[in-house]
Amino acid sequence: MRRLTESLRTPTGRRAITSIATMAVVALMTGPSGSATEPTAGPVGSYGERVSIFGLFAGPRWFLFLIFAAIMWGVWTLWLQRGTQLRSAASMALTVPKRGFALKPVRLVFYAALIAVGVVFPHVVTSQYWQSVMVEQIAVFVLLALGLNVVVGFAGLLDLGFVAFYAIGAYATAWVTGSLPTPAPFGVHLNPFFAIPVAIVLVMVAGILLGTPTLRLRGDYLAIVTLGFGEIITIFANNLYGITGGSYGSGGVTGKHGIPHFSINLGPIHYRWTLNPVPYYYLTLVFVIMFIVAFSLLEHSRVGRAWTAIREDEVAAESVGINPLKYKVMAFAIGAASAGFAGVVTAAQTIFIFPATFTLQVSINILALVIFGGMGSIAGVAVGAMVIQTASMYLLHTPPAGYQPADLYMYLGALLMVTMIFRPMGLIPSRRRRREITLAEAGEGHMNEVLTGENP
Amino acid sequence: MSGHGTGATVRDAIFVVEHVTLRFGGVVSLNDVSLTMERGEILAVIGPNGAGKTSLFNSLTGVYRPQEGTITFVGRDGARLSVIGKKAHRVSAAGVARTFQASRMFSALTAFENVKIGAESHRGIGVAGAMLRGPMTRRDERQSDRRTVELLHFVGLQERANAISSSLSYGDRRRLEIARGLATNPQVLLLDEPAAGTNPTEKRELATLIRKVRDEMGVSILLIEHDMKLVMSLAERLYVLNFGSVIAEGSPEEIRANPAVIDAYLGTTNTASEAS
Repeated sequence: MRRLTESLRTPTGRRAITSIATMAVVALMTGPSGSATEPTAGPVGSYGERVSIFGLFAGPRWFLFLIFAAIMWGVWTLWLQRGTQLRSAASMALTVPKRGFALKPVRLVFYAALIAVGVVFPHVVTSQYWQSVMVEQIAVFVLLALGLNVVVGFAGLLDLGFVAFYAIGAYATAWVTGSLPTPAPFGVHLNPFFAIPVAIVLVMVAGILLGTPTLRLRGDYLAIVTLGFGEIITIFANNLYGITGGSYGSGGVTGKHGIPHFSINLGPIHYRWTLNPVPYYYLTLVFVIMFIVAFSLLEHSRVGRAWTAIREDEVAAESVGINPLKYKVMAFAIGAASAGFAGVVTAAQTIFIFPATFTLQVSINILALVIFGGMGSIAGVAVGAMVIQTASMYLLHTPPAGYQPADLYMYLGALLMVTMIFRPMGLIPSRRRRREITLAEAGEGHMNEVLTGENP
Repeated sequence: MSGHGTGATVRDAIFVVEHVTLRFGGVVSLNDVSLTMERGEILAVIGPNGAGKTSLFNSLTGVYRPQEGTITFVGRDGARLSVIGKKAHRVSAAGVARTFQASRMFSALTAFENVKIGAESHRGIGVAGAMLRGPMTRRDERQSDRRTVELLHFVGLQERANAISSSLSYGDRRRLEIARGLATNPQVLLLDEPAAGTNPTEKRELATLIRKVRDEMGVSILLIEHDMKLVMSLAERLYVLNFGSVIAEGSPEEIRANPAVIDAYLGTTNTASEAS
């Protein structure tokens, strides 16, 4: 007995107790609720209840949560070990950095394997639900996170209204295909493929129009202005009844037809996308890969270096001839492009679009994906988006007992807090960002410092 | 004192500052400052703390915007740029480079990347080129790489090219900042206390480097420095600022003998004016 209490006092033991206690609280919160007369009946009665997860595990609830606690303890312990390794690696990085952007054969094989997994995936996961989640919730949000990463991660600008570009992309698609109450441009109803360039050009123009006056602001002020922009676009969609169909969505009450699916009519080739999510999955996969390649090339180009320079020290960047405003506006426009494309896919796949899809909550969700994944890291935000979106869709699809849809944000909030405590740079941090944070913690560098100079 | 202010008539001037006044609210940082810098000279601005030296630098580079007066930068081809009201990056593009008092590098980037950012900043933006990585982009990259390597050799940092800039010693940081400034291909380099925080050996090397920049690259040097030994050995001409005004101008010998300067430095302004 004494040995047990002693071992519980060690750091490992304390982590074990904390893990079990955390999971007990989670189990209580997710369990059924009691009644007024017997408040404990629900939670107590539920412990023996048999649950299953992904069909892999079936057993009593208490056992499931014990496993969760063990996993939490294991991950925690490993994490701490890795943390010390990472810290020493970070100080190593100060003397032995890598430079440039070279596609090594090992990496090439790795990327090819990833793409192969991506191609095979819908044949492994055959559930209709998960297939459509892969398109609507994962691929689309990966695109959105990649776009916001350019703005937040590369250029270091806080944008809280990113959903606006997503909405503009979707409404542009509805407009070009003649599915809005307002007449289509050029008088013809186009295939959504033609909506892609229109949407991307429109969102980039919107980014430039929004950015040029507002990007003179810094930090919090910029965040508030972008927040306002996001709201304005949603309110436009809601209130410009004659143009957008208002809250009834793109069809309005005028009985307009839905947004058509993508189709190809090239000489002998005829192909029409349908409600089946798999072809949509492949279409978005191609675009996700294209955006990833384009954005990585951009990150390691003159433009990416200029963004880093501005992010680290705007005054110094300007002193070597970088025009901060121009590069910031560019980040806005380029980031918006992938959001615009995400809007096209959403519009074409869901047939009707509604202002309620484009709320502030979506903006914040995208930002959470970027922060969770690792600001400035393309791999990070892509993986982060996949992890969080899969988790939330899993909760929606297989809710634990007593789970309410609104609980999702409680879990996401907790996840973000834990991530920020144990891994402030995100899941897969970018090399530059990691160095910046290490330096900032050591009191080096000029991040966010206001120009003071000598006292006049 | 009566001589300066008519600098516009000097034939080969690079900077002409006339009657510049800079205020922050009620605080007058620069008070009717006039000075002229000639092409190819090593000019120093000295003065006690708070005399307005860095404010002058910030005004010359477009960071601050003085309320009164004119600042003219004269390019090699005779083109005149009125600095006041221009953004700092425009002034940089015209050929003015600078370093900062507390050196401001891009601290998470390598020495190489720091200099390269300077070398490529005046090219067009080229997003499409960057995304497609065409032959033009690759050629530009190679050119900037070559120029960066040259400059790192020039300042003696070739061994440290891949070091993260914040891991460099103070002396090396100053060199790096100079290389980054030179990468923008300037006609004049403004150095804000380059010797601060360096040891005597580094100071000597720095003086050699500064002379080399002027002699081999033909870049005029404007220098703020507190280390009198360094200033007097390096500068060919000096301006002395006190409380935002120019109180003296001349060669190192003249300045050393100037009673107003001695007063300003020894803090006996009041008694001196009472005595006279």
